[in-house]
Amino acid sequence: MTTATRPRLLAFRLSPLATLATVVVLAAAIPLLYVVWNSLQLSAPQWAGLWTSRLPTLLWNTLSLSVLVAIGSVLLGVSSAWLIARREFAGRRLAVWLMVLPLTIPTYVFAHIYTVLLEEDGWLGRLWIALAGDGRYLPDLFNVWGAGLILTLAGFSYVFLLAHSALGVSTRSLEEAARIQGASRAEVFWRINLPLLRPAIAAALAVVVLHVLSDFGAVSMLQYQTFTLSIYLQMSGRFDYQAAAGLSLVLVLLSLTFLLLERFFRSRQRYYSTRQPRRQPRRRANGLETALIWGWLGVITLLAFGLPLAWMLSWSWVAWEERLIDAEFWGYARNSLLVAALAASVALVAALPVALYHARRRNLLGGVLLQLSSVGFVLPGPVVALGILSFFLAQLPLLYGGMAALVIALVIRFLPLAVQSQDAAMAQLTPSLEQASRSLGAGPLATLWHVTLPMIRGGMATAWVLVFIDALKELPATLILRPTGFDTLPVRIWIEASEEMLELAAPAALMLVIGTLPVLWILLRGERRSG
Amino acid sequence: MTHKRTFPLLSALLLGSLLFSAIPALAGEALVIYSGRSDKFVKPVIREFTRQTGIEVTLHSGKSTALLNKLKLEGAATSADLYLSNDAGNLQKGSDLGLFRPIDAALAAPIDANYRAADNSWIGLSARARVLVVNTEGEWANRLDSVFDLADPALKGVLGITNSSNGSFIAGVTVYMLAAGKERTRQWLQGLKANVDGKVFNKHSKIVKAVAQGRRQVGLVNHYYIYRHLAKHPQAPIRIVLPDQGPNDIGVAWNVAGIAISRHSKRHAQAERLVAFLVSAAGQKMFAEMNMEYPTRKGVPAASQIPPAGSYKVADVPMAELGRQRDATLDLIEAVGMP
Repeated sequence: MTTATRPRLLAFRLSPLATLATVVVLAAAIPLLYVVWNSLQLSAPQWAGLWTSRLPTLLWNTLSLSVLVAIGSVLLGVSSAWLIARREFAGRRLAVWLMVLPLTIPTYVFAHIYTVLLEEDGWLGRLWIALAGDGRYLPDLFNVWGAGLILTLAGFSYVFLLAHSALGVSTRSLEEAARIQGASRAEVFWRINLPLLRPAIAAALAVVVLHVLSDFGAVSMLQYQTFTLSIYLQMSGRFDYQAAAGLSLVLVLLSLTFLLLERFFRSRQRYYSTRQPRRQPRRRANGLETALIWGWLGVITLLAFGLPLAWMLSWSWVAWEERLIDAEFWGYARNSLLVAALAASVALVAALPVALYHARRRNLLGGVLLQLSSVGFVLPGPVVALGILSFFLAQLPLLYGGMAALVIALVIRFLPLAVQSQDAAMAQLTPSLEQASRSLGAGPLATLWHVTLPMIRGGMATAWVLVFIDALKELPATLILRPTGFDTLPVRIWIEASEEMLELAAPAALMLVIGTLPVLWILLRGERRSG
Repeated sequence: MTHKRTFPLLSALLLGSLLFSAIPALAGEALVIYSGRSDKFVKPVIREFTRQTGIEVTLHSGKSTALLNKLKLEGAATSADLYLSNDAGNLQKGSDLGLFRPIDAALAAPIDANYRAADNSWIGLSARARVLVVNTEGEWANRLDSVFDLADPALKGVLGITNSSNGSFIAGVTVYMLAAGKERTRQWLQGLKANVDGKVFNKHSKIVKAVAQGRRQVGLVNHYYIYRHLAKHPQAPIRIVLPDQGPNDIGVAWNVAGIAISRHSKRHAQAERLVAFLVSAAGQKMFAEMNMEYPTRKGVPAASQIPPAGSYKVADVPMAELGRQRDATLDLIEAVGMP
């Protein structure tokens, strides 16, 4: 009561909440500070050297790959979302699952499996030779098309998820109005549905492209030189941390430009509905349509999940028969689950003040903090790891060597996922409920505990799940920061795959898929409720 | 009101997570090796060491270069007692960075001086030869006797090499650069680049397979990949060619896998016992035979399938140079723009 009557001199007082949010964001910005500090050590001639020798190729490689993956993801994601959201057909529920399941497979596993399948004696290679006569023109994945294909298969599900929920909301009155005016079905799609979908597609593309920019696993398996791979090689091959930092800074600027563009286009696209959104009724598909729909969805599923799963199962079976799945293997699985659960839980708590402050105060500081918290997404994993490593060694040497450095690096990498889910959930919550609670005498913490948190439970669960899935698959930071002798499934996949031990890499990849299934179920349950 | 139950649960989970993450690493009793060598070759040797001495060992595996970075950044805080790498370049680099503590001269003595650092800060344990593999049924079966032949434009489309970030590839180029000169090596790389036309392999084993299946006629590989393939497919139409054996030729490029003791090891005596085991005749035989490599200790024979050491000419380049000249090699590779 006393604080309310005090005159407000500043637009934002540093309330405990603002302080907490600032602390979280500052911690998340440690790797960025590391990058900026190290790039400042680069002299002008060194910058010029980087500029002429590397940047043109890297920019071209990275941008062309991003564009390719963006196009591919929209093609697969929007087409499947449209069919599933707007048509009623046998097995529709299953189809939703099939479109999301590729999220359980990390990019480096995709890359590894497809390079093996496309060898002359791989499944696809043999099929190719049977059809084409010889293997001379067997497609090769070690180029932009290969990397594009792999990252599209691994990432289109994000577009699907967002497009699917956007399409679930009724736009029937607009569509009917257009039809009455004489527009054809195709025109309705191009002039009504697509523009309405644009914010969802833009948001999904942001996620997809940021994944491409920061991908390490697939591009290093395919030896496709993007910024992230080049930064890693610069660090580990030449011990040149400054050049690596310089390249990282360029990558950060690139990502920020992209994010700003995305926000700019999205902010000009606001559509308000006068009524409560209703669920879009789905038109029943006839037999032929059902067959066509399943034909298309079947092709996507086969490439993005069926083939990789079949490969994992068949090599896991070999491993099982050769009794290679021993106590050590279960240890890796346990380590992975433990680290991912820790990272997801810590991220959930760390994101709360940032999201809460942004959603409730709606001021400049809140906006700045929200943007800054996404820094982990625009920095490559190896760089985040290096920044955290240096920070721990310099400031917290006692905590170094345990799980803390690894967990914090993972939290920083995936904090944006948690912040954005929570922020979105809180944005939908009317403040009047909290005000009612406060007016009845409940303190801010009690209000948070008894009113806010229970109301945004769905958003919290989504936040936890998203961080968990990405942390479970995370490779580059884990490789650098894991405690001594502490191997996770991705680390083992990485090691066994580089040794060509397929029968050891496959069960680990399969375990990752299985470990992600329960949390995907939580995610899809929320999806079903809302759409 | 389910949240009455979920939230205490949730907060317990969070508190637990935070506490758990904050536990610092407990200094275990086990000897820690940062190992860049394949697990399956190291583990059996380590197991034998533990059986004989009772000293437990933790293997922390990864890429050689990445682990060397970790060792450097960690400084005195490292938990690593030893560093094991498949590449003399990495070992010498670590030595130049002052990360290692020289090994007792008496301990290192049985190893040929060419295969260890001048100050014994690292010692080589097993050697591999950089050789050609040819398809015995193809037109190139008997026409190649030098790595420099690989730049012949006639080999366009039939040559298999790894991508240029491969450690063995880099080490090989360093040897050629030092033995045959920078300019000749640059022209040679340009020839290779033209011959492979962007299609390089990410694994040596795939090169051997491609040569065996006739998709390529010749490949540049480490010798053991050939014998590994022949062990699985004894009838495969492939053959090893030991290149550059003429009186004026440079000889075969060698590289060694080796071990070093971390400067900041807190279990130095035990680390030395492990080195002593690996240098002993029995340890040498075991370590090298796992991968059909050459033991670096004089008098310990290599696996019988491979051409005996001493039966052919080896390039006269001290292994330590592989580390010192690596940046120059990387510059050369980059300037040529090798894929």
